[in-house]
Amino acid sequence: MTTTTPKEDTRLLVRRPGPQELHPARTHRRRRTLELSLAVAVPLALILLWQLAATQSWIDDRVYPAPSTILADGWHRAADGELWPDVWATLKRVLAGYAIGTVTGYALGLLMGSLSVVRAALEPMLDALYVVPKLALLPVFLNMFGLGEGPQIALVAATVFFFVWISTMAAVLAVPAGHRDAGQVFGASPWQMFRHVLLPASLPAVLVGARIAAGVAVLVIVASEQIAATNGLGHLIFDARALFQNDVMFVGIVCVAVLGVVFSELVRIAGRLLTPWAPRDRGRGQS
Amino acid sequence: MGHPHPKLQARTLTRSFGRGHRTVAALGPLDLTVAPGEFTCVVGPSGCGKSTLLRIAAGLLRPTSGELAIRTDSDRPAAMIFQDYGIYDWKTVQANVRFGLDIQKVPRREADARATDWLSRMGLADFADAYPSALSGGMRQRVAIARALAVEPEILLMDEPFAALDAQLRTILQDELLDLTQTTRTTTLFITHSLEEAIVLGDRVLVMSARPGRIIAERRPPFARPRTGDIRATPEFTALKGELWDLLRGEVRRDEVVPA
Repeated sequence: MTTTTPKEDTRLLVRRPGPQELHPARTHRRRRTLELSLAVAVPLALILLWQLAATQSWIDDRVYPAPSTILADGWHRAADGELWPDVWATLKRVLAGYAIGTVTGYALGLLMGSLSVVRAALEPMLDALYVVPKLALLPVFLNMFGLGEGPQIALVAATVFFFVWISTMAAVLAVPAGHRDAGQVFGASPWQMFRHVLLPASLPAVLVGARIAAGVAVLVIVASEQIAATNGLGHLIFDARALFQNDVMFVGIVCVAVLGVVFSELVRIAGRLLTPWAPRDRGRGQS
Repeated sequence: MGHPHPKLQARTLTRSFGRGHRTVAALGPLDLTVAPGEFTCVVGPSGCGKSTLLRIAAGLLRPTSGELAIRTDSDRPAAMIFQDYGIYDWKTVQANVRFGLDIQKVPRREADARATDWLSRMGLADFADAYPSALSGGMRQRVAIARALAVEPEILLMDEPFAALDAQLRTILQDELLDLTQTTRTTTLFITHSLEEAIVLGDRVLVMSARPGRIIAERRPPFARPRTGDIRATPEFTALKGELWDLLRGEVRRDEVVPA
């Protein structure tokens, strides 16, 4: 299989196997190794840089405590059980608000996607509410529900609701007419149409909305806990700053990050189990 | 074939997909020689690797083993026409046809002149400023053909270009393409499901086996060039079509009974 020298003065353009074809297993392994090591090395390098900067006093370690200090402090607080009440308080609010927001958003999205009359009636108003920053509604919720868990949960629910509502409505409207027509010709009842066509057809897009909402739910609860709560991670972060316990503040921030990642990953895994036919979510290493 | 300087030559070409125990052999081993100016049609059952062969020739995919050589001075000697048109909805018809020329940095004035020329040859002159969404399927495919030919490629690769069209439109576009290629004499590799299409257009018809695709037969339609679509009505046409179908039927069946 050598490339013969051309007898004329024209060249030969040869398509031949590349490294990926000649050594498929090795190329794949190398690629996986590279991707994995990059995923670990980049954050690790940044943390090491931070550690170095703190120990070398390039930055003020009272304001930006070294990662080792944060880790040790977090470990102590977790071991002493000081950390868990705040984590639990935040988790409870997020889960309750997320559940309410998802269910109502999905129901209304479905209704508005299927019935143009309902869409006509509610869409302009919801569009207007959608652009209002939800945190600006916190005073309203405080007036409505008083102090306590009510306003926090309501705020998360309102935030999640809009994400799920919009993605559900768009997904239902995007169901191809052919899918509906096939059901209609067989005489499907509204419930059967929902169960066999609209629900599965819209689910992949709805789950993308639900996953984005999971991250945003954590984001908004931390903000609202800073303003109006006596516990929770958002409260912990602000309170620690006020007391100039910057290491505690960073422990709170790390907890929030972990909580957000775990939550949205769980929603993604649930989505994958619920929609085995859908193509895998992109933007994250596959398999 | 006997040609001393083939335009395109494949030697023991194979391609497989996947890794480890899930490897699927898609193509070959396959040997193929295409003479300059020859119009070669490849027919075969679905999933037999026809498109894989074309994608290797186009440089979109590398072979797993073997090699495919194209005799050319250019790095990009080929133009490809896809089944689903591959033309861009966000460009006007004129801009679509000019696309290949723009990529090759042909000066705007010359590129526009060449695009306009091809548009009028394809009967699309009145639609130069329209967007593809306003066109019918047949017209969109004419745009795709004009875009490929506007760069005056040394090799034209066509991947079931008429598969998405209705039967009448297919016949019309086959005749148009026959007319065009008999004038330009561009070396062409044409993949199709349709035996009729292969016989009308091809100097040579190659029949491929079920996966992994190999060439199991070769026929030369006995119609002198320049020919027209009228050959469809001749007894020789019907006989050749029947013969090819007999060869192909077994392969299509085999593919259905043993799904991989």
